[in-house]
Amino acid sequence: MATYLTTVRKNDPKLNYLLVGGGLLLLLIIVLFGAAMLGAERLPLFDLTEQQRSILFDIRLPRILLGACVGASLAVAGAGLQSLLRNPLAEPYLLGVSNGAALGTMLAFVYFQSFEWARPLLAFAGAGAATVAVYRMARSRTGMNVERLVLSGVIVTTFLSSVIVMLTTLLDAAKLRSFTFWLLGDLSQSTMNGVYISCGALLVGTLVMTSQAKALNLMMVGERDAFDFGVEVGRVRLLVFGAASLVVGAAVAASGSVGYVGLIVPHLVRLTVGTDNRYVIPFSAIVGGIFVVFADTVARTAIAPRELPVGAITALIGAPLFIYLLRKN
Amino acid sequence: MRNSLKLSAILILAAAVMGACRGSTVAPNAADAPKHEPRAVTDDMGRRVTVPAAVTRVVSLAPSVTEMIFAVGAGDRLVGVTTFCNYPEQARSIAKIGDTMTPNMETIVALRPDVVFVSSASQLEGFTKLLEQNGIAVYVIDPQSLPDLYGKSLRQLGTLFDKYDDASRLADSLERRHRDICRITNGCAGRAEGGTGPAAVRVFVQVSREPLFTVGRSSFLSQVIRDAGGILATENVETAFPKLSKETASALNPEVLILSDSEDNKEPNDAFKNAPAVKNGRVYRVNADLISRPGPRLIDALEQIAMDLHPEKFR
Repeated sequence: MATYLTTVRKNDPKLNYLLVGGGLLLLLIIVLFGAAMLGAERLPLFDLTEQQRSILFDIRLPRILLGACVGASLAVAGAGLQSLLRNPLAEPYLLGVSNGAALGTMLAFVYFQSFEWARPLLAFAGAGAATVAVYRMARSRTGMNVERLVLSGVIVTTFLSSVIVMLTTLLDAAKLRSFTFWLLGDLSQSTMNGVYISCGALLVGTLVMTSQAKALNLMMVGERDAFDFGVEVGRVRLLVFGAASLVVGAAVAASGSVGYVGLIVPHLVRLTVGTDNRYVIPFSAIVGGIFVVFADTVARTAIAPRELPVGAITALIGAPLFIYLLRKN
Repeated sequence: MRNSLKLSAILILAAAVMGACRGSTVAPNAADAPKHEPRAVTDDMGRRVTVPAAVTRVVSLAPSVTEMIFAVGAGDRLVGVTTFCNYPEQARSIAKIGDTMTPNMETIVALRPDVVFVSSASQLEGFTKLLEQNGIAVYVIDPQSLPDLYGKSLRQLGTLFDKYDDASRLADSLERRHRDICRITNGCAGRAEGGTGPAAVRVFVQVSREPLFTVGRSSFLSQVIRDAGGILATENVETAFPKLSKETASALNPEVLILSDSEDNKEPNDAFKNAPAVKNGRVYRVNADLISRPGPRLIDALEQIAMDLHPEKFR
């Protein structure tokens, strides 16, 4: 498919992007409808009772919408960070952004449980703080290089992981149980408020990220070249890091750590439409939404009426898929 | 070369010092009085366990087991308990060996118990080999129901501790209280047929609000709810402690909600907002320690739940 599209693109790139974008949107709509029809409870298409309406509108739909926004957020962050750092492995997890958000959420959970906004706010603060920490560690007198940045990310990630593990050990048993589930990525606690926060953050983050797409395209060639072309490298970096922290913070606060989305989705998109970030970023958002909604539908229905954490499903699909892509290239 | 020599000298010295410390902290005591012939007893899993004639130093790896040992009058022989063991009050001042799933083996071995009590097959699998290598007997206490508890577990504990009279007095009283409840609710017979009388109230037990955990058929609470004159709304879920889909929870329409009372489980999950239980104000909180431990206080939980389900029968 990739080769087919590459040949088409030479003939009429605009039309090709339009086709792929339209096709992906259609697929997203189909997946959303399919997810809405499937669940632990079987619902009729028409004439729903009051209880069935409540199941559909209060429980199932918020969860599906949140899944779509969380998936889109992680994929957009992954696409932006990979281009910025010119490293195909860059994604929110590797760079400590997710763990920063997780730690923030955890602190909100323990100390500010009554304040509903505390979770997303502290998650964003955590994601931002982790990003700033990584960024500052990566800077040296000779400037910043990518290897140093990725290394700093790994160090911050593992450090924050240890703090999280220490905290879960110190928390009492009842809180621990909900947390081990949440750390794996779990969408069962979806509310409409969570949807507004996460999808709002996604909208802002995607717009900011896409606005930097042209600059990112130049920076993929090299930061010095980009600078020569008049790109304000520092400003682009700041905006991309900020947008990534925003969307990842909101996503992690709502659903914990859903893995592999930020890694696998931008790769799939680049294989299909090439590397132009003006398309890779919005297309990644759509594919990320599709991927997580699909995975969560499996999590909701596979062993119904019991449930699996969605993070287990994304990893189960994501890991083999990633290995396949690696071998294919 | 010279460095490595220095290092090994330091290591040897450190080991010697540690050995000396260990020798002095573990003081000999009355427990070392001559033990006569070892004897064999049978635990709840039917294993033959060889224990000394007089069992004087024991460690419990579960709060329910700690409560049972105190209840048969052998609490003074407990030398180690878990961090979860908070009842009776005296249990709090006993040395802690870690929690139920991650006990500290060094601490346990250093306490030199005759017997370590475990409460599940997974604990048995995980710790038995190491403990037995150190000459410590491992005994399983795992009652699956109230009749198991008073008919078997407590009486066997009595034999083990040479407290048979105390244990059977306790067991008899639990059995009497259980029978009284059965007589009033008429709920205790229905297990084999898989159903109870028309009066059975549909009950949902909420173990935690978010994420929504409940109990299923394999939990000992399934039978407790039946005995109390109810039936689990989640009776057809096989797992003991499943995380349940909110959609399913919402469709169950339980008549009564029982909340295992803990800090983050004070209110019903939002999925129950239209359930009869919430609309009719039939939401009851039961002390989480009573409802989650298959020990002697389970009878208190049963009595409370029976009164909550059928207040008319207890006037």
